[in-house]
Amino acid sequence: MNFAVVWRNLPYLLQGLGVTLQTAALVILGGTVFGVALGVVRTSRIPLLRQVAFAYIEAIRGTPLLVVLFVVYFGLPPIIGYKFTAYQASVIGFILFIGAYIAEDYRSGLASVPRGQIEAGLASGLTVGQVLCCITLPQAIRRMIPTLFNQFVRLLKFTSVASVIGVTELTGAALAVNAREFQPLEIILTLAVSYFVVCYALSLVGRWLNTRYAIQT
Amino acid sequence: MAYQFDWSVLWQYRGTLLQGFFYTLGLSLIGLCGAIAVGVIVGAGGTSARRWLRAACGGYVEVCRNIPLLVHMYFWYLGLSALKLPSFWCAILALSIYSGAYVAEVVRAGIQSVPRGQEAAGLASGLTRRQTLLYIVYPQALRMVAPSMAGIFSQLIKDSSLASVISVAELTFQAGAIEGTTFRTFEAYIGISMAYLLIVTTISQTTLFMSHRRAADVGDRF
Repeated sequence: MNFAVVWRNLPYLLQGLGVTLQTAALVILGGTVFGVALGVVRTSRIPLLRQVAFAYIEAIRGTPLLVVLFVVYFGLPPIIGYKFTAYQASVIGFILFIGAYIAEDYRSGLASVPRGQIEAGLASGLTVGQVLCCITLPQAIRRMIPTLFNQFVRLLKFTSVASVIGVTELTGAALAVNAREFQPLEIILTLAVSYFVVCYALSLVGRWLNTRYAIQT
Repeated sequence: MAYQFDWSVLWQYRGTLLQGFFYTLGLSLIGLCGAIAVGVIVGAGGTSARRWLRAACGGYVEVCRNIPLLVHMYFWYLGLSALKLPSFWCAILALSIYSGAYVAEVVRAGIQSVPRGQEAAGLASGLTRRQTLLYIVYPQALRMVAPSMAGIFSQLIKDSSLASVISVAELTFQAGAIEGTTFRTFEAYIGISMAYLLIVTTISQTTLFMSHRRAADVGDRF
């Protein structure tokens, strides 16, 4: 095995890693916001809204990520009449996908907030919106930290799938290097190690946040 | 919206889709068996009294869980291309090893959730260590883990779609082929996501149903 090929192409691979991290950061932000919003709708008191959110969540959770990406990148443009770049399509697809999972986590986080607190909030004259953002949401999110970070690590791994629709993130870059140099074993091993380091680091951050901010029960 | 939907392509290409469906089913079922085999061994090893075995199993879980499935697939398909494994078996290996790590975590947690008194009671009543584990600890652990297992199984089925990238002719791959000839992208992919929904729901509901029945059995006995 000769890892010189990795050193030779290091700038290109690092650029790919940059794209991977940037995608992940965007999607973590967008996905969390979208997911929590979807979760709020999913638990709202208006039946129609609740059912629409439920149908969306179930449909996404039953569909592979790759199919969601294909639908956004290839399927939607003829319908909405706008063509995304591969990068835009992958970010949108990831947000749509991971949002459904985060919404479900939000629901179980919310269920763990005692009902008495909501009633107490309403009884003391807060509006429904105030109870949501000052009482239930902060507690639900703190309880969600472990599952949320599981989703983030999953998402970070999932960004590799963007290479299939032509985004040159880490996996895409590694495959391009391999196509030129054909030293698959060295390149794939390097790829695996890079993902491991990044994902493991992210999960450590999650564990640290959890010990620091989680609600002790 | 100037786009005209034409769902008849799904019926027109039913042969192709059906073939893809069976490939996906095969991938999922064989991958499932592989993942359970890997997961039970590694998960049981994770609760072993020997420290090196625990460390090895923990290491396996961390390494395999933190590498994307796609990279697992490329490892067998491209990285070890010198072995010339058929792409179908590359996908099976990748799915088993990757999902096996998730199964192992669940199995480990399940075994640890069985009260220690159960094991102590088994040993005290004269069973050997092996008998205690096999007849007392593992069956109880199995029931605890059923819901999480259902989640992992449905994940695995959806993950099998990545095999299309290394050219296994499963559902997603066939949808791509249909799209290539008819340009009916939306219809093709929505069609196969229905098929995935069907497989995922069936398998996860079966897992849950079986665990409920097992739990009921035990309830009847006492």
